[in-house]
Amino acid sequence: MNDFSELENELKKLRPAPPSPELFSRVERALADVTKENESADNVVRPDRFRINWVSLGLGLAAAAVLLIVARIEINRPAKQIPAVASVTPAPRAKPGAINNQLVPAGFTQVVYNTRDEGLHFADGSAQPMRRVRYRTHETLQWRNAATGASLRVSYPSEQVELIPVSGQ
Amino acid sequence: MDNVATHEDWKVCFPQFAPGLLLFARQWLRSSADAEDVVQEAFVRFWRRNHNIENRALLYATVRSIALDFVRRDSRRARREADASSETGGLVEPQFEQLDDSQPLATAVERLPLDQREVLVMKIWDELTFAEIAAALGISQNTAASRYRYALVALKKSLQPQ
Repeated sequence: MNDFSELENELKKLRPAPPSPELFSRVERALADVTKENESADNVVRPDRFRINWVSLGLGLAAAAVLLIVARIEINRPAKQIPAVASVTPAPRAKPGAINNQLVPAGFTQVVYNTRDEGLHFADGSAQPMRRVRYRTHETLQWRNAATGASLRVSYPSEQVELIPVSGQ
Repeated sequence: MDNVATHEDWKVCFPQFAPGLLLFARQWLRSSADAEDVVQEAFVRFWRRNHNIENRALLYATVRSIALDFVRRDSRRARREADASSETGGLVEPQFEQLDDSQPLATAVERLPLDQREVLVMKIWDELTFAEIAAALGISQNTAASRYRYALVALKKSLQPQ
């Protein structure tokens, strides 16, 4: 029990002043107006709604156009671009009907990983100087069995020396 | 939160809530006509948004918000009314039905500080829980309970013979 129960009972005996009779009819009118607004909103096609729809439609079309352009670029692009490291010989084409169960050469790759200019040299018995350039390379040979899909690859380091004649000017 | 009541059900709900809502609105508004304007706007707005009628905290919060907006909009007239009220020594229009023996208590309620009176009104005449009062006023339940207790203490003190 709290100390204020008697006071609370006294307070509850007080009756709030009743609303005027007009308030009920005013609320009724206001709610009826709201209903009419809602009904008219459902029936009347508002110009601003068209405007909003046009904007949405425009945005949608723009997005679709961008997607089409991107899709076309993807179609036209080559499947994969292999960076050229040195030189790759094309695989020999097998003649139609000549496919048998043998390994055939499928490619050759030569990667030059070092080039050194060794300066001017005189070759034996030659009066003209030659520039000697040394290439260090890594070569790969590849064979492939077209029937079974098996492949064989052999890699080895190599070194080449090139003598370039120098003009006397 | 959809209001399950049909459109016609407001005729059942409104007469039940209207006296308490008016008393609540009168805390900020001296005139009963202004209070009725506020209650009308609040109830129509509440009903139109299809809030659940059981959410009384929201209904009272709507009344409070519109009443405070009304006071801000019409502050000049509110000052005039306050001046007139101070000259006449109290509110222009009574907030309670006139009962001879309860007049001192009604006057004491009307003189309570606003933050205590709004809690008292919601608790006594609208029978809101402290949780609902807290939600309506944006305060904690403990604060709502404290204000209610302070209001009762103040009333008891004011009713004691000098």
